Amino acid sequence: MDELRRYAAIVGKDLRVEFRTREILYTTTLFALLLVVIFAFAFLSDPTKSRDYGPGIIWVTVLFATTVGQNRLFDRERENDCLWSLLLSPAAPSTVFLAKATAQLAFALLMQVPTILLILVFFDLRVTDPFAFVAALALGNVALALVGTLFAAMLMNARMKEVLLPLVTYPLFVPVVIAGVKVTAVAVGAPIAEDPEVWLKFLLGFDMIFGVVTVMLFGRMVRA
Amino acid sequence: MGKGGPVSARIGFGLTVVAAGLLTAALYMVFFVAPLEATLGISQKIFYFHVGAAINMLLSFGFCALAGLVYLSIGGMNRRWADIADAVGVATAEVGVTLGAIVLITGPLWARKAWGTWWTWEPRLTLSLMVFLLFLAYLALRAFAGSDRFGRGVAAGLSILGIPAVYFIHFAVDRWGGAHPQVVYKGGLTQPEMRIAFGLSVAAVFLLATTLSWLRLTIERERQHLDELYLEVDRRLG
Repeated sequence: MDELRRYAAIVGKDLRVEFRTREILYTTTLFALLLVVIFAFAFLSDPTKSRDYGPGIIWVTVLFATTVGQNRLFDRERENDCLWSLLLSPAAPSTVFLAKATAQLAFALLMQVPTILLILVFFDLRVTDPFAFVAALALGNVALALVGTLFAAMLMNARMKEVLLPLVTYPLFVPVVIAGVKVTAVAVGAPIAEDPEVWLKFLLGFDMIFGVVTVMLFGRMVRA
Repeated sequence: MGKGGPVSARIGFGLTVVAAGLLTAALYMVFFVAPLEATLGISQKIFYFHVGAAINMLLSFGFCALAGLVYLSIGGMNRRWADIADAVGVATAEVGVTLGAIVLITGPLWARKAWGTWWTWEPRLTLSLMVFLLFLAYLALRAFAGSDRFGRGVAAGLSILGIPAVYFIHFAVDRWGGAHPQVVYKGGLTQPEMRIAFGLSVAAVFLLATTLSWLRLTIERERQHLDELYLEVDRRLG
């Protein structure tokens, strides 16, 4: 129960600071919108075929914009040198980790709502299976938040963290992107023979296994 | 301390001699004893080393992940063993990436002859490429995230996450790449000479990988020792 309160306190702190400064939300949302515009110029030749590349555009935008946000996730902790204070607090390392990952997930989802609506409008995509569409993005974002938060924390003080973070996380994100694009493609009615349920279960399995492993690794890695 | 002392040097020399002998024997078996494969012809011979490199690449990465696991589980409790686990991690990752480069160069060379294309997104190819990229990222971490505890810890963490990642990537690319041509693996290994040549090649590459890992490990231990000496000098000079 105490642990839950500490968790809520850390998440609340991050959300409060963010809503006051709007640093991460403002910059990542703007970045995502610009990406969408650039993708439109790069790919939009035949609007009737947008179902073929639309799902890919959604996931690349989500991935890039989320990475930009993850690079900023521990900025305040670094500037004020207070990650160690957080870890010295009564909260367990796993609580700190899950709280930061939750905050990261919240920022990512808030950024993605307007971005994805805009992609649907710009590329004239119609969601025929809303449940699969939302579920894939939700499960995919949990995976991105878990792995991204772990490495963002560990690379906080690294000299080239902006480049190192995607170098490290993208190979791990590949299965998430494959599954996400498949489900999203089915959800917007692309003519492919895929069972979205298999891929959603796959994403759920990814989240559970990487959830356990990242929580365990975070504790080990900060102690090492 | 003398980590790279005469004993490890002698082991390194012995390994080198055995690996060189085995490689020569494997080359001889592959090119002079094993018969030509009926449909693929001479191009099939690249498989002896291609598959050998692929198996040993996965083995190297497995050891790297194991070293990461050991490193993080002993944590700060035993400095000496943490250093050794860390050195094993670097050595096996570098050798694994080298073998991965061999796999990814010999594969397309053969594919060009057999399939008429350098690359297809066939599941096994895609998986090899992803594992290769994962451990290139590991080496980038080692090179740029610093060799302090933070850099070592994050590299160890990545190598451990590689295990579930490979499992998920394997499943995903298998389903994703469903419609691609199936590889006729070892279709020609019917002749006993071919099987001997194949076994010998895998063993030879294994010994080569072991030798290289051992030598790299020795160098890394020397480097760690040198770092300690620098720190010692700093302390003494105040």
